[in-house]
Amino acid sequence: MVRIGFLAAVAVAALAGASPEDAVFRDKIGPILKANCAGCHSGPQAQAGLSVANLSDLLRGGKRGPAISPGQSSQSLLVQFVKGEKNPRMPVGGKPLPDNIVTALAAAIDSMKALDQVATAKDYATWVFSPPVAPKIPVPRQAAWTKNPIDAFVLAKLEEKGFAPAPPASKRALLRRVYFDLVGLPPTEEEARAFLDHTAPDAYEKLVDKLLADRRYGERWARHWLDLVRFAESDGFAIDGERPTAWRYRDYVIRAFNNDKPYDVFIQEQLAGDEMQLRPAVRGGQIENEGILALGFLRMGPWERDANFDAQLRLDWLNEMAGTTTQAFLGLTVGCARCHDHKYDPIPQKDFYRMQAFFASTRIDERPMPHLESEGRLAMRQTLRRLEDEMEAANARLKALEKELRAKLAAKKDEDKKKPEADNLQRVLADKDNPVFTAEERKLHKDTAERAQKITLEMARYQPVAYSVNEVAPPAVMEIDPTHVLAGGERSAKGELVEPGFPKRITGNSEPAKIEYAGRYRSGRRRALAEWIASPANPLTARVMVNRIWQHHFGAGLGRTPSDFGMNGDRPSHPELLDWLATQFVEKKWSVKEMHRLMLTSNTYRQSTGHPDAKRIAESDPDNRLLSRMNWVRIESEVLRDTILAISGSLNREAGGPGMFFSVKDEVAQGFQMFKWYPSDEKAQLRRSIYAFQRRSLSMPLMEVFDAANMSESCSRRSVTTVAPQALTLLNGELTAVESRRFAARVIELAGADPARQIGKAFTLALLREPAGAELQKARTLYEGRTPEEALTRLATVLFNLNEFIYLE
Amino acid sequence: MNQESNRRHFLYRSLVGAGGLALMDFLNTDLRAAASSNPLAPRTPHHPAKAKSCIFLTMLGGVAQMDTFDPKPALEKFDNTVLDWSNEKRTDQPDLYAKPRLILKSPWKFAKYGKCGMDVSELFPHLAACVDDMTFVKTITGENGNHPAATFLMNTGLVLPGRPSVGAWVGYGLGTENQNLPGFVVLPDYRALPFSGSQQWGAGFLPASYQGTMMQWKGDPINDLRPAGGANQKDMQDQMALLRDYNHAYLDGNFTNPDLQGRIDAYELAFRMQSEVPGVLNLAKENEATRKMYGIDDEVTRSFGTRCLMARQLVEKGTRFVQLYTPSQSWDSHTDILKGHAKNAKEVDLPIAGLIQDLKRRNLLDSTLIVWMGEFGRTPDHPADLRDKAGRDHNTKAMTMFFAGGGAKPGVTVGTTDELGWRAVEKVYRMRDVHATILHLMGLNDMRLMHYHAGRNMRLTDTGGEIIRDAVA
Repeated sequence: MVRIGFLAAVAVAALAGASPEDAVFRDKIGPILKANCAGCHSGPQAQAGLSVANLSDLLRGGKRGPAISPGQSSQSLLVQFVKGEKNPRMPVGGKPLPDNIVTALAAAIDSMKALDQVATAKDYATWVFSPPVAPKIPVPRQAAWTKNPIDAFVLAKLEEKGFAPAPPASKRALLRRVYFDLVGLPPTEEEARAFLDHTAPDAYEKLVDKLLADRRYGERWARHWLDLVRFAESDGFAIDGERPTAWRYRDYVIRAFNNDKPYDVFIQEQLAGDEMQLRPAVRGGQIENEGILALGFLRMGPWERDANFDAQLRLDWLNEMAGTTTQAFLGLTVGCARCHDHKYDPIPQKDFYRMQAFFASTRIDERPMPHLESEGRLAMRQTLRRLEDEMEAANARLKALEKELRAKLAAKKDEDKKKPEADNLQRVLADKDNPVFTAEERKLHKDTAERAQKITLEMARYQPVAYSVNEVAPPAVMEIDPTHVLAGGERSAKGELVEPGFPKRITGNSEPAKIEYAGRYRSGRRRALAEWIASPANPLTARVMVNRIWQHHFGAGLGRTPSDFGMNGDRPSHPELLDWLATQFVEKKWSVKEMHRLMLTSNTYRQSTGHPDAKRIAESDPDNRLLSRMNWVRIESEVLRDTILAISGSLNREAGGPGMFFSVKDEVAQGFQMFKWYPSDEKAQLRRSIYAFQRRSLSMPLMEVFDAANMSESCSRRSVTTVAPQALTLLNGELTAVESRRFAARVIELAGADPARQIGKAFTLALLREPAGAELQKARTLYEGRTPEEALTRLATVLFNLNEFIYLE
Repeated sequence: MNQESNRRHFLYRSLVGAGGLALMDFLNTDLRAAASSNPLAPRTPHHPAKAKSCIFLTMLGGVAQMDTFDPKPALEKFDNTVLDWSNEKRTDQPDLYAKPRLILKSPWKFAKYGKCGMDVSELFPHLAACVDDMTFVKTITGENGNHPAATFLMNTGLVLPGRPSVGAWVGYGLGTENQNLPGFVVLPDYRALPFSGSQQWGAGFLPASYQGTMMQWKGDPINDLRPAGGANQKDMQDQMALLRDYNHAYLDGNFTNPDLQGRIDAYELAFRMQSEVPGVLNLAKENEATRKMYGIDDEVTRSFGTRCLMARQLVEKGTRFVQLYTPSQSWDSHTDILKGHAKNAKEVDLPIAGLIQDLKRRNLLDSTLIVWMGEFGRTPDHPADLRDKAGRDHNTKAMTMFFAGGGAKPGVTVGTTDELGWRAVEKVYRMRDVHATILHLMGLNDMRLMHYHAGRNMRLTDTGGEIIRDAVA
């Protein structure tokens, strides 16, 4: 019953905040009562038996009955007393409350749901920690509008509130929306025409299928997952050393999305790919087991070298793994529980350490792992061989050069015996004031040495090694460090000894998890955790993932704190819909693509962003919790960059493999000591952003300013800020300068010499539409006093910066 | 657009705040003027006030009051002893409190300074010389003992992310004097940005134009101020004109997205910044004496000092609100406070004193309100097992903060804490009272400064704060 009560209450509320009624009390009623009434009405001596400390106290009331009736201020004793309608006027002996306060109090009470619908935090907990059960699909009045059950849930709620859904988006808006959503790139002119001119009733569904089968889909959706798992290819901290084969985890994620790897397998591989017999993928006749690569998930956090040997760093690593695992897969935030019981959340400190104990037998390891067929095994081997040859040549060149230089130095030394330090070639070369070598010689040596160093770095990236984990290396038997609860998270403050176990709030008990020995040197601990998480019986796993998918299609999740389903998290606007999707997800064998299909083919997704009743909706549902229209979405930093490259014709579509190193300012590059930064060749630099090398201490300017994930912690939802530096970067930055020029050249090539046709082509490439008459006229003014190339370069910069370019309707 | 949809468009834009107006004003103001107004244009305050700008110096991590400005001789008496806390509710970090704890006397000596005879510890020798221009409040209380939540409370009035920050609210209420510079500038320490980064200076539900703009103190204050390609002055003007034109036409057809206006404003600001910023943030033009005042040439004080000097240059040019941050958790001395607090104090003491004195000699101190605070105070005791490297833990029950200039009452101390400095006992204030006081000193009434959102009027101080009267001149 409790469960139904919660669903009913949320069904009406659909607004943000902790249990909405609690929030009303906390924000609006509580402070007034605390300031004016709590003096007498609190504690064991409360006057008339009425305490005003919290909502349930008010509802219980005092000897005269409940103090408030939610939804009906005029019927509420509290209001009657402070207004003086009942004697004595409250507060007794004090000044009457000012009118505005009384009005605020009454308004707050009116805003609450009727009593039987008040959802408490307890109801929410009961719901969220019970496995989802497929709810009954409602039958809205305008049933004709519904394409699939998603629409039924959404429309039923809209009708309840007296709203109609928005009209469908224009074909062009829908086309841009679905392309950016699924592949993160705009359609080409031909692709656009194919859809816009196509009149078959299922043209849209066909398009969705086509894009889901497109390789670029995985490149787009991997980014969302990489944000969540704080993916980076360097360690962070002061040295920020390279993780030369971390890219293999990135490519693993891209493949997982492209191959529609069942989400339960995806989880199991990342947590226990070495401990489980998982269904291997068969590719090109080869069986591929990607588990060892998938384990990279556990390695992605920031890290300082030698942590295996330093107890504190190891503890930090264990904490980080336990925390990120809980956040990414279970949508629970447990960072606080490391030090103390989490006040509002379902993970007490002991449970945090019980979770952490699943990793107690894990150690970091760079495991030998031959390149897979799908990683281009042959090409990898060839590249490595080529690099080895180049390395040999470079070393030989360096050796020869140094021999020559040494000879020169020795000759010099004979002349000038007083300088013993002149023995050291490197030191003499580094000393700019030493006249032995000319500037040219110095530069030649520097370049030759750097060339060798650069190849060394590059070779490491092609080694058949996985950035992975392993079980503790036993001499004879496995000895797993015991796990203690640590008071305040302090390593020295060892408390109770704990065994691996799942959160009590979810399982209902504190029993240790059943762990089966998984084979030689395999404790089976991570496998036990993986199996428990990747199970239909887990109340959170499926809900959390479908909510994440929803968020990336609709601009916001049904629950808007996608990694916090705990008590502080946002209450989902459509809990029944969330449950329905979660059960579908399991039923469809955890297929992420099936979820895309469901969501994208709903009419809810196809709504326009505008609504005929915009004003009323803005007042009552400004955050669009009811989904009465499509949310505006600004394309993310990576999509923005890829789009500019695509339409200027520069985009290098090469997939997979080691990342590309973008150009940085010289002073930045020189700032790196241990892990030097050598920009890739120009063509490689034009690859999609997902293939940019992810260094924790260095981002592309466009990524930094347009809210890309910061790589140091799990990021479940990027912020969308609007600040002047974004405008500066997009107007003045290197990317815009170069690509505007290329865009102009491409336009001239495609459109010929006529300015009107050129402008038309520029608009079509950038915005998928022809310019309006006034727009064309205005663009023509750019041609005054400029060559067509110049004019179109200016126009390109303008187009790249348009609101229409960066926002999806 | 027909007549009806025009009207609707118009009302809608007023409602969602594209015109930058609070609903109260919406009822009384000429709508036409509202819709066309620049959201950052300077506006008349609710009441006359001295402070035109605010510099908010944020001491992240939480400063120990009993080691800085709130001396507690009783700590000497009880040093290294276990006190009976069984009757006290210690809620900030319950787990830490569950262990045996020892009282820790302050490792620093206090003395009285200035005409007002203010207590200052050895940690702040330079600020000690400024106490006659400062106003201390020793009794600020919080709600949550975790850093991110407490930082949100300090910045936005709520422990959760998503609300507008003080700087955004002030911009919303007053606009800004210089249209060529951001109205709200944030100068964080790049060694460690605050938790949740830009959300701490976000605009929340206010129009995006009020969000803080981050600047750096090394190199160009803002990247890409100059075009990377071959664009000349005329190119940039033509581009901007065309962009403006297209964006406005687009806005007319798509008024349901309030961010579109915010982005148009951001471009206008960026365009003006290109000409203004290089001239303003020019540290080279400051003379040797001034550089010395702020400690620009000393490695230890350079970061905070340079940013203090930038703050002065910005307010001089009419920026409304500047917020500086120490590195995230820098003051968070759970262990080894002797080292931690000494280091942090050294980084900020001279620069802040320099800022106060420099503003004063330029007659800017009256019109600039300086606010100094962290997200919470610290405890008088620490877990017993950490005695060799003792520190202090989070404490939301008392924190010392100070104001300087901007109409604050100089040379006074407000409120008292208990014998140990653990809990505020007399004249106890909350964060929202600090907010109400800042707004008041800047000419804004916290009850009247509101924005209609999600069906109600939202305020920085929610149901209202109490102005710290004793701190106001």
